[in-house]
Amino acid sequence: MSVNEVVAGEPGGPAPATTEAAARPPSSLGREALHRLVRNPMAVVGMVLISIFVLVAIFAPLIAPYSPTDNSWLDQVRPGQYPGPSAEHWLGIDPLGRDVFSRIIYGARQSLLIGVVSLALGAVAGIALGVLAGAFGGWVDTVVMRFVDIMLSVPGLLFAIAVAAMLGQSLTSVMIAIAVVNVPIFARLLRGEMLGQRGADYVLAARSLGISRSAIVFRHVLPNSFTPVIVQGTLTLALAIVEAAGLAFLGLSGSDPSAPEWGRMLTDAQETLTSAPMLAIYPGLAIVLAALGFTLVGESLREALDPKFRR
Amino acid sequence: MRVHRKAGRLVALTAAVGLLAAACGGEDSGSGDTGSGDGGDPKTFIFGASEDPKTLDAAYVSDGESFRVIFQIYETLVALEPGTTEVVPGLAEEWEISPDGLTYTFHLRDGVTFHDGEPFNAEAVCFNFDRWYNFTGPAQSGDVTYYWQTIFGGFATKEIDSAPDTSRYQSCEATDELTATLTLTEPSSALLAGLVLPAFSIASPKAIEEGGTEIEATGDSFTYSGGFGSEVVAGTGPFQFVSWDRGESLVLERNEDYWGEAPALDEIIFRPIADPTARLQALQAGEIDAYEGVNAADIGAIEGAGDQVVERPAFNVGYVGFNNKLPIFQNPKIRQAIAHALNRQGLLDAAYPEGAVVANQFLPPDQWGYNDSIEGYEYDPDLARQLIEESGETNLTLEFWYPSDVSRPYMPDPQAVYESFAADLQAVGFTIVPKTVPWTPDYLQNIQGDGLGQLHLLGWTGDYADPDNFIGTFFRQDRPEFGFTDPTIQAKLNEALTLTDQAEREPLYEEINQLLYDYIPGVPFVHNQPLLALAGDITGYTPSPVSLEYFKLVDIEG
Repeated sequence: MSVNEVVAGEPGGPAPATTEAAARPPSSLGREALHRLVRNPMAVVGMVLISIFVLVAIFAPLIAPYSPTDNSWLDQVRPGQYPGPSAEHWLGIDPLGRDVFSRIIYGARQSLLIGVVSLALGAVAGIALGVLAGAFGGWVDTVVMRFVDIMLSVPGLLFAIAVAAMLGQSLTSVMIAIAVVNVPIFARLLRGEMLGQRGADYVLAARSLGISRSAIVFRHVLPNSFTPVIVQGTLTLALAIVEAAGLAFLGLSGSDPSAPEWGRMLTDAQETLTSAPMLAIYPGLAIVLAALGFTLVGESLREALDPKFRR
Repeated sequence: MRVHRKAGRLVALTAAVGLLAAACGGEDSGSGDTGSGDGGDPKTFIFGASEDPKTLDAAYVSDGESFRVIFQIYETLVALEPGTTEVVPGLAEEWEISPDGLTYTFHLRDGVTFHDGEPFNAEAVCFNFDRWYNFTGPAQSGDVTYYWQTIFGGFATKEIDSAPDTSRYQSCEATDELTATLTLTEPSSALLAGLVLPAFSIASPKAIEEGGTEIEATGDSFTYSGGFGSEVVAGTGPFQFVSWDRGESLVLERNEDYWGEAPALDEIIFRPIADPTARLQALQAGEIDAYEGVNAADIGAIEGAGDQVVERPAFNVGYVGFNNKLPIFQNPKIRQAIAHALNRQGLLDAAYPEGAVVANQFLPPDQWGYNDSIEGYEYDPDLARQLIEESGETNLTLEFWYPSDVSRPYMPDPQAVYESFAADLQAVGFTIVPKTVPWTPDYLQNIQGDGLGQLHLLGWTGDYADPDNFIGTFFRQDRPEFGFTDPTIQAKLNEALTLTDQAEREPLYEEINQLLYDYIPGVPFVHNQPLLALAGDITGYTPSPVSLEYFKLVDIEG
């Protein structure tokens, strides 16, 4: 496991034949996983999608040609007739005279923000619970895990709807709602992983050396249990984007109806589905692509990090 | 239809499933009915309502869904010429008004019977008036007896604080079998026009007494537990009550003993379908024959499928109201700036039916008292910016309220109106904070009761043809909604109400409209032509400016 053992490969370069790779001496776990990842076309597609999504979200004001709430083109709209794509408006104009392309671009911002914040909140809380259960075991474990089981017994989206409805109309409540759904997933994952490491040789070795329990947990077991959390985090991000859109579609989102938000754009488009189906397809496609990006990367990561897939 | 879109969608889904079940189960029950005289299939007209009536006890309701059903079952002393606001004979063939405006003598139609076989006469008329005047307890709430209070004021004994102190009603006397004499304590110019409202339907005294009219108040809502209006229903109208399966269907059948021309329809069914999209789909699937609240964007799809879209005359007004109590709205430049900032024509062109016109006063153009010389504030964002600068106001943050889960005749999609106007206001420098709550009960309570709206969207559909029904309702008294207390305008509105000669009242209302236009207590933005969709084979449906449509005129071709 020494870092020095790393083979000087070509991380970004074209992948050599697999037989050659198999013949290589064993290398670092992380490095090896990275190799497998970049050689997986699914992962590459996913990473490209994620990069586009993140860049668009960050540089939205530079990319979008107009403000997402500018309704200067209202006079071009008639009931049931919304101008389609043109040189000035790549994706046309919505029923309230706004540029659809700009709204989709700014929508990425909202999605990424909700995704990242809710993931962070959910992961931190979940990890804390998982560590608590995994490190102490016994009755603490029982109490925490029964609590987690109860949370898991309610379907995720339904749970999020209930929480968001309780907290009221705001972006914060949406983030909290999605985070709450993620808490038990992370808690369970981490706890299971830590229990698995309990009997591992390195833990026994550390114990025999007289290292304190907390040091073993935090300096050895925890870092070694993190791999599945990273995988889960990536997949959860995809789910968070879909859930945020779902909540917005059901009317549970920020309080400003004019805010560019994919889920809400989908809801609004529903009213004009017969006359302007594209207005629903654009945000739908954006949601699918963003979620797909994170799912592909997450699944590829899982494969790359899973020892069972190792050749 | 929004937040709570979730709820709306669930309701729609439930309704759709229910509809399907009802459609499957309904077939055989319908076929057993007696056909019309000609032996053909019974003619059944199915109206897709947005909700159930509250009750069929006409005196207890003021909402359109209840009125629509009640209007087919009961009749009033004076009626409406179909498609207009003109008052014509109803159950009274003719009437006289004493010179002092205090005594109304109604000569009643002979040979009319109630659906329960009881005779219609002057005693029955006065029984109903006395019942209304003697309402007690929760029935004195403005939510229950709104129209009695609007037209007649208070009750025999004031039992709840919110009830009016005095009543214009003095007595009703059955002078002979077919003559009822109504005496008032003070003249009211709106009385005759108001008596056409379904709230003044004459019901069978026997049905009222036997059914019972108990009403219970729980917080802000009311339960109509009496049997009259739900199980026992008897008026004199062209259709009589058959059955009411709440949430599913309300069935009426033709009154074979109707005094007037026999209606063509054998049966009417009202089906509640909450979601507008579901109503459109039900029409397209042939499950219903008509619905109101058609989205302008759907006109093409409806007409393309061979169905019809008809317009009601524009007898309404939608407005952006200000809470004039707030210091920022006491600055006239700010009020002017808002009036110039709103792109009303743009919104109407983009989202309203073709017949919708930009409003420049709170009265619709078809109502006498409308001031033709008012031209309206132009859409001019630059001028708006300049006015804001001149106003000296620096804190330009305003809460802008709009209702969710509702479609109004003057505002088919409140959120779209909000988004459009909010963008206009933000473009000239205001910071707009959106505020939305469901229409009932929160929105009306928050806006009209508590005056929370700094800016808010609301409107009004005329009940009867009198200017006081519009601007008197808004501005005659201090109302939290507008926080508007202009003594000159209020005095003129009160004066105009007590005058009985229309020739004197008309110039007064025109002047009041000019004063309101100059002050800008809010910005009226639309007089809309609300749309109704009808199946292709429906004839004779005559849209009414006050949304009171006679189904007795409706026929189904073929």
